[in-house]
Amino acid sequence: MSDDPKQNDPLTGIFAAALDEAGAARAPARVKARLYSALLRRQQESGPLLGLGETHGQGYGLCVFEDIWRRMTPPGKAQCINCCGPCHARVLAERLDKAPIHWQNCPYAAFGRN
Amino acid sequence: MDAPQTEPPRSAPSSRRGVQELSDTELVAEVLRKDRKATAELVARHADDVYGYVRRRLAPQIDLVEDLVQETFLAAWGSLASFQGEASLRVWLLGIARHKVQDYYRARLRESEWADDDSAIAEAVEGQDPVEELSCHDAGHRAREVLAELPERYGLILRWRYWQQHTVRQMAFETGRSEKAVERLLARARTVFKKRWNERRSKAE
Repeated sequence: MSDDPKQNDPLTGIFAAALDEAGAARAPARVKARLYSALLRRQQESGPLLGLGETHGQGYGLCVFEDIWRRMTPPGKAQCINCCGPCHARVLAERLDKAPIHWQNCPYAAFGRN
Repeated sequence: MDAPQTEPPRSAPSSRRGVQELSDTELVAEVLRKDRKATAELVARHADDVYGYVRRRLAPQIDLVEDLVQETFLAAWGSLASFQGEASLRVWLLGIARHKVQDYYRARLRESEWADDDSAIAEAVEGQDPVEELSCHDAGHRAREVLAELPERYGLILRWRYWQQHTVRQMAFETGRSEKAVERLLARARTVFKKRWNERRSKAE
C-alpha cells in the first residue's frame, strides 16, 4: 500500500468522516478555570505577576477583592500577589461549570458565562 | 458591605481599550508582562479551540484531554516570546496542540506491546473493504464506535496515521521501531478495524 494515506485507501474517507463527526466541543468552564490558575502559577515561578496598580492603569477591570487590595497596599511587591489564590471563586470555578460567582471582572466568573 | 466603585485610572488616555480588544500581538505582549487580565483573556479566547482540537483527536480516550490542553498552554507560555505574529495566535497554539497530541500517540505506542500473535487477527477475515454507502455522519459515527472498541495500540496507530497524516517512516522514527514493524502493526490495525466495521454493518442490515 502506498505510504500516502490519501491514495486508494478506503479508510481515509472513513477517518475523515469520524473526525468531522466529533464536531466542535467547547472547553468546560472548570477546565478554563484550572488552565488559568495553572498559567498564573507557572508565571509566578519566574517572578511576580504584574502589579494590580499597573493592570488597573492599563484600564483593565479589577474584581472587587483585587481593587480593595490595590487600594490598601502601596505600589510594589504587595500588589503583585495573586489574589485569586485564596479566593473561594477560584475554588468553586475549578470544580463547577456553573459556579455561583456573579461579581464583575472576575475571570473565573467570566469563564462560567462564556 | 457595598462593593467599592472602581475608579477610572487617573492617567487613562482616551484611546485606552479593554483587554478584549487587543490584537494577538498586543495580547501576547501583555501576557509576557504577566498581566493577569491578559492571561485570562488568552484562556477565554483560545481554550475552546485548543480543547476541541485535542478532544477530537483523542476521542474516544478523552480522559487526558484536559491534561494535554493544559500542557499546550504551559508550553505556549514557555515559548511565547518567540511568537512573531506571522500566523494568528490561534494557529500558533493549535500547532503546539498538534505536537502534544503526537507526543501522546508516540508515548502510548512506545509503551504498548506490538505482539504479532494477536488472536483478533487469527479470526479476522479479509472481507469487503468498508464502502461509502453511508452518509458522512453515519460513517463517522460508526468509525468512532469501532475505534472505541479496538485495542488501544490499533486505535492509536490508525489515528496517528489518518488524523495526523503521519507516514510510516515518521512513525517508525518517533517510536524507535523499524518501518516493517510499523507497517505490520498498521496492517493488523486496518484488518481488525475492517472486520469490526463489517460486523457492525452486518448487525445493521
